[in-house]
Amino acid sequence: MITLGKALNHGLRRALEDDPKVVIMGEDVGKLGGVFRITDGLQKDFGENRVIDTPLAEAGIIGTAVGLAIRGYRPVCEIQFDGFVFPAYNQIVAQVAKMHYRSQGKVRLPIVIRIPFGGGIGAVEHHSESPEAYFAHTPGLKVVSCSNPADAYSMIQQAIASDDPVIFFEPKRRYWEKGEVDLSSALPAATPLHSARIVRPGTAATLLAYGPMVRVALDAASAAAEDGRELEVIDLRSLSPIDYPVIFESVRRTGRAVVVHEAPGNVGLGAEIAARITEECFYSLEAPVLRVTGYDIPYPAARVEEEYLPDLDRVLDAVDRSFGW
Amino acid sequence: MAKGESVAGTDIPAGGFVQLLTPDGERFDSVTTADGTTYSVDFTDEEYRELYRDLVTVRRLDTEAVALQRQGELGIWASLLGQEAAQVGSGRALRPQDMAFPTYREHGVLYTRGIDPIMPFGLFRGVDQGGWDPNEFRFNQYTIVIGSQTLHATGYAMGVTMDGKTGSADGEAVIAYFGDGATSQGEVNEAFVWSGVFNAPIVFFCQNNQYAISEPLERQTRVPLYQRAGGYGFPGIRVDGNDVLASYAVTRQALDNARTGQGPTLIEAYTYRMGAHTSSDDPTRYRIASEVEAWKAKDPISRLRAFLTKQKIVKKDFFAQVDDEATTKALDLRERVLAMPDPQPVTLFDHVYPNGSPELDRQRAVFTEYQASFEGSGH
Amino acid sequence: MSRIKEFNLPDLGEGLTEGEILAWLVKVGDTIELNQPIVEVETAKAAVEIPAKWGGVVTRIFHEAGAVCEVGQPIIAIDTDPTAPPVPGPSSPDSSASPASPASSASAASSEEAGAGLIGGPAPGGRTAVLVGYGPRTTSAKRRPRVGTGNENGHAPVAPAPTPVVPAPAPVVSTPAPVSPEPVVAAPVVVGGRAGAVLAKPPVRKLARDLGVDLTGVDGTGPLGSVTRDDVRRAAAPVVPASGPEALDLGSRERRIPVKGVRKLTAQNMVASAFTAPHVTEFLTVDVTRSMKTLAKLKAGREFADVRISPLLLVAKAVLLAAARHPMVNSTWSGETGEIVVKDYVNLGIAAATDRGLIVPNIKDAGRLGLRELAEALNTLVQVAKSGKTPPADMTGGTLSITNVGVFGIDSGTPILPPGESAILAFGAIRPMPWVHKGRIRPRQVTTLGLSFDHRIIDGELGSRFLRDIGTFLEDPSTAILSWT
Ligand SMILES: Cc1ncc(C[n+]2csc(CCOP(=O)(O)OP(=O)(O)O)c2C)c(N)n1
Ligand SMILES: [Mg+2]
Repeated sequence: MITLGKALNHGLRRALEDDPKVVIMGEDVGKLGGVFRITDGLQKDFGENRVIDTPLAEAGIIGTAVGLAIRGYRPVCEIQFDGFVFPAYNQIVAQVAKMHYRSQGKVRLPIVIRIPFGGGIGAVEHHSESPEAYFAHTPGLKVVSCSNPADAYSMIQQAIASDDPVIFFEPKRRYWEKGEVDLSSALPAATPLHSARIVRPGTAATLLAYGPMVRVALDAASAAAEDGRELEVIDLRSLSPIDYPVIFESVRRTGRAVVVHEAPGNVGLGAEIAARITEECFYSLEAPVLRVTGYDIPYPAARVEEEYLPDLDRVLDAVDRSFGW
Repeated sequence: MAKGESVAGTDIPAGGFVQLLTPDGERFDSVTTADGTTYSVDFTDEEYRELYRDLVTVRRLDTEAVALQRQGELGIWASLLGQEAAQVGSGRALRPQDMAFPTYREHGVLYTRGIDPIMPFGLFRGVDQGGWDPNEFRFNQYTIVIGSQTLHATGYAMGVTMDGKTGSADGEAVIAYFGDGATSQGEVNEAFVWSGVFNAPIVFFCQNNQYAISEPLERQTRVPLYQRAGGYGFPGIRVDGNDVLASYAVTRQALDNARTGQGPTLIEAYTYRMGAHTSSDDPTRYRIASEVEAWKAKDPISRLRAFLTKQKIVKKDFFAQVDDEATTKALDLRERVLAMPDPQPVTLFDHVYPNGSPELDRQRAVFTEYQASFEGSGH
Repeated sequence: MSRIKEFNLPDLGEGLTEGEILAWLVKVGDTIELNQPIVEVETAKAAVEIPAKWGGVVTRIFHEAGAVCEVGQPIIAIDTDPTAPPVPGPSSPDSSASPASPASSASAASSEEAGAGLIGGPAPGGRTAVLVGYGPRTTSAKRRPRVGTGNENGHAPVAPAPTPVVPAPAPVVSTPAPVSPEPVVAAPVVVGGRAGAVLAKPPVRKLARDLGVDLTGVDGTGPLGSVTRDDVRRAAAPVVPASGPEALDLGSRERRIPVKGVRKLTAQNMVASAFTAPHVTEFLTVDVTRSMKTLAKLKAGREFADVRISPLLLVAKAVLLAAARHPMVNSTWSGETGEIVVKDYVNLGIAAATDRGLIVPNIKDAGRLGLRELAEALNTLVQVAKSGKTPPADMTGGTLSITNVGVFGIDSGTPILPPGESAILAFGAIRPMPWVHKGRIRPRQVTTLGLSFDHRIIDGELGSRFLRDIGTFLEDPSTAILSWT
């Protein structure tokens, strides 16, 4: 059993071993091993040219990663916290996302941008945000989020091996949750990077979640099972592209869907997923697709964040409402 | 070369800095830099004692905050330990009409502005995100995103010029605080560009505490930071940030230049972050104990204390008295922090927009009803 | 007011439930100040000093240095007002330092590597320390009780409340809605700008289309006058001649049973299945005399001495073996993805009549079970089903099913596929019948098998071969086993 954070560490280590072109860059990733210790020990073992403590400038981190990638490297960039990706937003959205398209396929940018995201850690402002929709909205980027140690280990390696730019969202409040990870497993055996996974089968309704909210959805499903209601939980894993066939198949069986995410609901991923389910599963729906999300407010102060964050009760409240239709 | 500028052993960085008080409490009357500016201070005995009182108090309050964090009463605390002189010196140099733009570590500057030190605790306790009016206190909200406030300060300073409030001795000036790490941010460099182009009445006060979390200064720059200013067309100067007198003198001068219409200055206050970056950081991972020890010898408080003692500016029990007063303040602060109530959940929806929004009203109503649906919610 | 306060070892977070006292920096009798470091605690690598929460005199130290102490236990007692006369009676533990959620079952754990208060190490309140705040806390997987729901668990009942709901502009966005949906607006509502448009839920529209019912002509009896499934079915049914003026009041002799629970689910499943999968049913009558003999031998043998076995066991085995020979029958039609999902495991469903209605629990990966294990699984499944305690997980994921209509003395039937499955076998009563055996009419034990299958996936030929194989097995299990496996 290892923690999700440690699993990422192992995955990064393996990527560094497997491909000499992989470089890790970011603030405090070297000697300190990152503020969450995800890159712990990597600079010691791979040297300062492969695990690079960068100047404190996010636009610089991503902008130089573009150049490195054009030169044939596979940069793995760490943005220290979700709220600090915005200085790099221009580089990501205007450059990284479009390079392949405007070079008519001649330039690939196999860049991974790791972002610890989401709340629940009692932090000061800018350290608890869920900016995934901004990136999922941007064509040319792939966006994924892991929810457990085993996925963390395989997905980070798959993301690095991918020729696409991948925004890799890490559920920071789950960094210390433990799970079994087969560190010897070969990558091809792992679930493909952009596949969703049914993490708990059920019949009554489908819960869709990703990253930190998968645990919440699973907890909600256990609580619901005690009431005799079997909820199916799907871990989306990939936010762009979304693995819709798995979702549709499930919703057609259950007739009900609830999407859960921390980010505000307005124009969030839940809105898109709800729209697609409605388009594709209209006649199977017993109720509208419901969303349990953060409110449409800036992320609040630590001492009220538990009121803001979707939790088991809010998820089950939505399930109850779905059954009231 | 002025005395203070000599490169003396490890005490003074290559390129020198303005120093009026040595670590041993030796006082230079004045220092004249290469550009011919002379820096000195002219304090009364009472003013020296006040400075000492400030330094001790802000450190004592900081110590209390660190303990409160350890006891689970604050989510985080960014300690100013070691940077008291840079903050008290520059803060005292501000005139009432001046405006300060802090980072998240300027509790000492806040204190010198006469603001109740509890003001930023809501942010660190996680009961609010600041919530004060920058204009009321002439002290902007803390800014956590590195460097952003330098542009805000620049814009504010441009406004000062537009309002015609520069050009005389009672003009207004603006000071922007930031760290050594922040100098790498594009936004900070843009602030330099804008301030230069618009000749803004601003002082960029960079506390070079040698680290940006774990990264040493070499990760941010090849030249001493103050030298960056030249490229943007305004003067830069380095000051001994552990010397409260020099910090005061240099800042005072730069602010006066700004208020009289002579444009921006970059001050690099050369200092050291004695503590962890924030409460949960583990600095032993990236710096050695001997380095911290070396800086201990340059402590900002002990040198002023030595000076006051040598000069016989203080009575026998003065130091004990100051310590006691500081402790009283710290305990009072502790009590008041512990008494800070958690916010009412429904306030989540307040202040998103000046005039609200119907959608948020709906969400608030639904939220309220939902909250009331639980047992024990006292509905 | 007690003035002796106990300070508890801060909760080290999930997974780490104890910490080692490295060194005491104070001893009993010492006068200590607020925030004075009192103890060094070590988790793995770094030692962290914990400052005193109160000033006073140390009256007790609970664990010596070197001791490993449990989280939430008192480590030191401090007399916060030593000049006052002594207070008898128990001391009051410091509640704020006790674990926030002692019974939390989530799996978060503090890193084994980090010291208290350092990143990844334990932080006060059962959290894990981070650079920038209090740190994450583990939450429990229990529902908070809600008011006025009247059931033991204190939240909304599972059975859907019959409260009407406005279908279109309903409270669905991003926030928890009130417990009961919005009150209904009494006036007729115009939905989506289509004046007078008929209100009906998507599945009702589907049903109407399948039954050829034009919704605009249907009087809705549902919320806001929306059309319900029953309305559609009524509209689809042949018109009953209106009864005369002196028609009897038969209504008072009707019983109305609310459709809910298993009945409702069954109804939904059956309708969904019947109207999506084109069903074909084939029949095969077989001589199972040899099977019955095999069964008798098994019963007599030692291995099956203590398990109840019935012909169903052999039918189940037959189905499993035949499915292995024809994997396509064990598949799901995934229409909208344009795929057929073929499964190489069989979750074998057994339809069971229970007091609450029909359920089809299944035996997971039944193909991998030996005959004895299969027998045991069948027995448990049936017993549990009868007792009404079938766990929901057993009712999902079925891939292939058997319905044993024989137990009701019935010869056969045309079963409806459980949704998502492609074949179901009806197993009729076994009766002694005149049968041509080795050229002569003999009384033999005979049964009829009825196989329904999804014609989208399974062609007549495949269905026939599958059924034929089941029959072959039941006619002579030993030979079938020898020649197939
Ligand atoms: C844009 C941005 N990136 C990253 C961070 C995370 N972070 C917080 S403090 C810090 C180091 C700041 O160093 P410096 O500017 O020297 O100020 P100091 O903390 O030393 O006072 C970093 C990287 C941030 N707050 N904002
Ligand atoms: Mg710094």
